[in-house]
Amino acid sequence: MSDVINANPTILDDKSLPTRAEETEKVTERSLNPHLASLLDLSLVDSSNLNDQESIHSTPSLENDEGSDEEEEADPIDSQEIFDLVAHISDPEHPLTLGQLAVVNLPDIQVRDSGNKNEMAEVIIRITPTITHCSLATLIGLGIRVRLERCLPVRYRITILLKEGSHQSENQVNKQLNDKERVAAACENDQLLSVISKMLATCK
Amino acid sequence: MSIDIELVKSIKAHGDKVWSVAAHKKLPLLATVSTDKICKIFDLQSLEQIAELDDTHKRSIRSVAWKPTGDDPSLACGSFDSTISVWGEDYDEWSLLAVIEGHENEVKGVSWSKDGYFLASCSRDKSIWIWEADDANEEFECISVLQEHSQDVKHVIWHPYEDLLASSSYDDTIRLWKEDDDDWTCVAQLNGHQGTVWASDFEKSEDSIRLVSGSDDCTVKVWKRVSSEDEESFRGDSTEVWELEATLPEVHTRAVYSVSWSEQSGRIASIGSDGKLVIYEEVKNEDSESQWKIIAKRELSHGVFEANSVQWTKSFIDGSVENLITGGDDGHVNIWGIPLR
Repeated sequence: MSDVINANPTILDDKSLPTRAEETEKVTERSLNPHLASLLDLSLVDSSNLNDQESIHSTPSLENDEGSDEEEEADPIDSQEIFDLVAHISDPEHPLTLGQLAVVNLPDIQVRDSGNKNEMAEVIIRITPTITHCSLATLIGLGIRVRLERCLPVRYRITILLKEGSHQSENQVNKQLNDKERVAAACENDQLLSVISKMLATCK
Repeated sequence: MSIDIELVKSIKAHGDKVWSVAAHKKLPLLATVSTDKICKIFDLQSLEQIAELDDTHKRSIRSVAWKPTGDDPSLACGSFDSTISVWGEDYDEWSLLAVIEGHENEVKGVSWSKDGYFLASCSRDKSIWIWEADDANEEFECISVLQEHSQDVKHVIWHPYEDLLASSSYDDTIRLWKEDDDDWTCVAQLNGHQGTVWASDFEKSEDSIRLVSGSDDCTVKVWKRVSSEDEESFRGDSTEVWELEATLPEVHTRAVYSVSWSEQSGRIASIGSDGKLVIYEEVKNEDSESQWKIIAKRELSHGVFEANSVQWTKSFIDGSVENLITGGDDGHVNIWGIPLR
């Protein structure tokens, strides 16, 4: 990563990025964003469900009502929250975030959620690499996937795609980013994980 | 038309994703493997755990397969750490018999041939290795390395009555392999899936040679061997003609990760990322044309988690049902009862 692949990317001002925090004008410091905090809490709740023998099985409709946080669906996750989760991931080669580089953009995030916490939901993110031959597109996509898998409730299926026409190896990268087995194997690679940890260190 | 799928037992078997489940062909034994690097063995009569095989693999165990032969049960595990471990039971004790090295990176699938003579393994390194096994499971000699797939090989499975191997790949194809004059050759390539082929399974029949496959394209397809031109093998170009027989009714909305063809009922089961467990049955219409119909469907078979593996087995508890075993990202192994007709 010593050779910078795109030396002069277009940079957006961090303050001009869309965010729930500014929209509501209630939260001055984004680290205190209540939505984010609740998201992180929820991911903990869900992982404790994972360790609980009976909570998920047999009759999910009843058991989950008792077992999990009632507030989960009181405030459904929308594309703005997904954006806030991934916009502050650092680019692997620039001291800038994916939001500043317009790699992730609010209109390119879709959330499909019935609102029922006993059903699966889906997030689709289309990312725009800074240049069409960006060799780090896979790494960026993987960073976004790891971030969302750690933060979102387990019922979310995550699809990460390169925006149409944004990359010369679009199909190959898409296939790799959404191959569960390859992603699982990649996440067992310590070296790769430490690069991703650095990218995620700037997340708030 | 439709029948019930009853959850017999849900076992919290692993601390992480269950990647694969395998029921022994004859004995009441179930093996399960996981990201937690452990292979567990359960008794299918008591549904209790009887052994835990660990401290061997350094990364996720992706696949597990029982050797169909031998006085004592034995099995092989394929791991992301690029090795295969072989385990056997002797006087109620399970022990590690061999660790097989050779693949460059993640081993994704393992399968034993009908008589336990061959072990096949496949990997992200795009190759399939055929190993010759000895009776004691201590010596494994690689007799062929098959490299025709252009991408990761996700899964391998042997035919239950013939030395015919099917491999599924990230290159969207299935290939069939046979021994030809001491060498193994690709006798057919099945094109038709529009995405990674995750797994396949043969029909358990001696005369009708068919294969079911599940893919990232969300479909389940049945393929049929229409001719096997063994007479051409003296030219070293033995081929088989396979055709797509049917695409089963499309209900999966995400990748299909595993398929299984029942020996007992001839039914097919599929499972995948959408968590749906689907059972199909072949029925003849008035013109005696065969058609596959969905006879049962269970949404959220592993809660809101993805399901990775499904396999049919006869029930060792209740003769009026057959069982499906499934494994999911929730670490659970579920045992389902499906009534026989």
